[in-house]
Amino acid sequence: MIQDYMKIVFRSLVERGIRTWLTMIGIFIGIAAVVSLVSLGQGLQESISEQFEMMGVNAVLVTPGGPLFGIGGGAELTDDDLKVIEKVRGVQDVAGMLFKYSQVKFKDEIITTAVIGLPTDESADILLSMQNFQIAQGRFIKKKDKAKVVVGYLLAQGDVFDKPVELRDKIEIEGEDYTVIGSIVEIGNPADDSQVYVSIEQARIIFNEPKKYDIFWVRTLPGFDTATVAERIKKDLRTSRDLEEGDEDFSVETSEGLREAYVSVFAVVSAVVIGLAAISLFVGGIGIMNTMYTSVLERTPEVGVMKAIGAKNSHILSLFLLESGFLGAVGGAVGIIVGIALSNLITYGAAAAGWTFIKASFPWYLIVGSFAFSFIVGSIAGTLPAMQAAKLKPVEALRYE
Amino acid sequence: MALQKYFEIAIKSLTERGLRSWLTIIGIIIGVAAIVSLISIGQGMQEVIDEQFKKVGANRIIISPGGIFFGPLGSELVSAQLTKDDADFIKKIRGVEAAIGVVTKTIQVRFDDETKTLSIFGVPTDSEAIAQIKTIGFFEIEKGREFTQSDRYVAILGNIIAYDTFEKNITTGKKIRIEDETFTVVGIQKRAGTGIHDMIIRIPEDVARALFDEPEMVSTIFATAKEGFDVGEVAEDIKVKLRKKRDVKEGEEDFTVQTAEQSIESFKTILGVVQTVLAGIAAISLLVGGVGIMTTMYTSVIERTNEIGLMKAVGAKNSNILLLFLIESGLIGIVGGGLGLLIGFGMAKIAEIIAQAFGVGLRISTNIWIILGALLFAFIVGSVSGFVPARTASKMKPVDALRAK
Repeated sequence: MIQDYMKIVFRSLVERGIRTWLTMIGIFIGIAAVVSLVSLGQGLQESISEQFEMMGVNAVLVTPGGPLFGIGGGAELTDDDLKVIEKVRGVQDVAGMLFKYSQVKFKDEIITTAVIGLPTDESADILLSMQNFQIAQGRFIKKKDKAKVVVGYLLAQGDVFDKPVELRDKIEIEGEDYTVIGSIVEIGNPADDSQVYVSIEQARIIFNEPKKYDIFWVRTLPGFDTATVAERIKKDLRTSRDLEEGDEDFSVETSEGLREAYVSVFAVVSAVVIGLAAISLFVGGIGIMNTMYTSVLERTPEVGVMKAIGAKNSHILSLFLLESGFLGAVGGAVGIIVGIALSNLITYGAAAAGWTFIKASFPWYLIVGSFAFSFIVGSIAGTLPAMQAAKLKPVEALRYE
Repeated sequence: MALQKYFEIAIKSLTERGLRSWLTIIGIIIGVAAIVSLISIGQGMQEVIDEQFKKVGANRIIISPGGIFFGPLGSELVSAQLTKDDADFIKKIRGVEAAIGVVTKTIQVRFDDETKTLSIFGVPTDSEAIAQIKTIGFFEIEKGREFTQSDRYVAILGNIIAYDTFEKNITTGKKIRIEDETFTVVGIQKRAGTGIHDMIIRIPEDVARALFDEPEMVSTIFATAKEGFDVGEVAEDIKVKLRKKRDVKEGEEDFTVQTAEQSIESFKTILGVVQTVLAGIAAISLLVGGVGIMTTMYTSVIERTNEIGLMKAVGAKNSNILLLFLIESGLIGIVGGGLGLLIGFGMAKIAEIIAQAFGVGLRISTNIWIILGALLFAFIVGSVSGFVPARTASKMKPVDALRAK
């Protein structure tokens, strides 16, 4: 029986040829847009999460000013604060860093990039224990190093200056020569990958900042809850800086908290974009409805014959529903394939431009979900026309011109 | 055949198909409405920015250390520094009316046992500088007075700082503590609506330098071009001369010279890109709507094959048939465009009302170009989608068309 339904549906679709295809295209465009946007968004979100995961679940960041690295504003963090944090129960070690955007010169070429002063004591291990902050060539900075620098991946690759920066080359920061002693593996975005790193002692001299820190990277002891330790750091810093609760001029964030903040902002943006793309799916659904009304009209005499030889209302209804659902499902399937191709294309394009963290991701529920969704859109769009067909009176349907 | 006749036939064909014509039109309405509402909101935002720009004044030039991404508050992040000397140097350049060097720092401020971290602007208080500041719309005084030359430990507060930062309102005559010094509030600024200008505390430059222990550093220099001089040329001149003074080569500047117009432009460019991307995604639905028109027109051609045969038999030319169907599909497009326009404005208006209820200064804006553009675009979508089916119809052989069932 179901086979007969399918045969009739197929014949009807094939008969209408180009119009069937056009209707499917309507769905296919919408699904392709949604699939590619969702998969890119999903991939981006995974990359962001990954970056935070690499920080480790036991990381706490202390920065001046509001959360999410508000530019400017906020208090200065100093050695006093470092000492306060080190004494908080549950803190293993604290890495204090200093950075400024500065001009870096290599063989007569100048770029402006972040110069980052890193600790050289044991706390440097906090950074070096991260997967994406490993030495690719040479070695890391040591305490006794003077005028030595470690460069980011893109500098070593030669994507920033005309020539790649190699070990033992000299680069100039704020008018002083520095010898390159190492390079870092790829982090995945052009800004981070073109930074240069010096010891914090050197940075203090270059920038004439004897006391200031821009960020503290805290590692908590195993067995302690990171969020609780973060809360304690906040409270102790508040006390030492003589501030009321809610008036903090610094922010304390766990890697997990930061990740969640990013993900929720991201979710809002992607919801807006995907919502806009979904409008076209709605328009596609209206196209199916239109096609189905036409189909019902064109086949009114046929429906009359079917009913005259005993077809029930429900038979006619399922026949037309199947037809519209099929339109949706096939359009959806093609759309999924095109969408996947599109986002892979964008992934390659982005990677070529250095944005390796833009990676499309296709979770199974995206594929299954969009397929089911397109079938549902088709069926819903077909409901009204199918009901109209089902309710036709056999005599009138037969008499219809 | 008169053009009117074509329209009569096209309209008859559309009304005969009733519901199906409407469904096709709805497809276009949705797409046009989405695009129109997005564009009119974006246009409104641009206008708000332009108004802000007028408050700064067209003859302003801003000189800041480092790249263009960091405003006065970002100067703490950049290694390059400007000095008082640079400000004095710029003042002497031909075409420059005035140059005010401002030193900023973010620091703890105490009022009535509450401590907040706020941005302090140290501004010069010589008569020339005060005259300049008075011309900047952002710094208009609502209560109290502007600085005078003899002022020392006094402060002028941004509107938000006075009324919405500390638990109690700060009024003129009250005392606030910055670091270890006590300042008397002598003035409160009008609300500028830009956030940054409402969130600063102004104190006299000399006091600020002593307080911050920054004898030379200048965070930002605000210069004004003399009347009769081209602002862009003066800015370029400043750039060249400052380069020479600081001994850097072209392309290697460790400072940025921007006219107020340029800084507004760069912001508007970003806004424009976002708007284009969103409108582009919304335009996908218009494409789908166009495909819907094509489907409808193929159906129309098939349903009226006999009619076409008859027309051709009594002497209709290919071009007559083509025009007939093109007008029909163009009509679908233009009716959908017109209704979409109305609904789009309606949606944008609702968004505006909701945003204002939440205190966001969103405003929509329309002009004749959006209206004409949307209508024309919808008509073109309709005609283009109708073209292939119309050509199919026009090329039918009369005999075949008459014989078709």
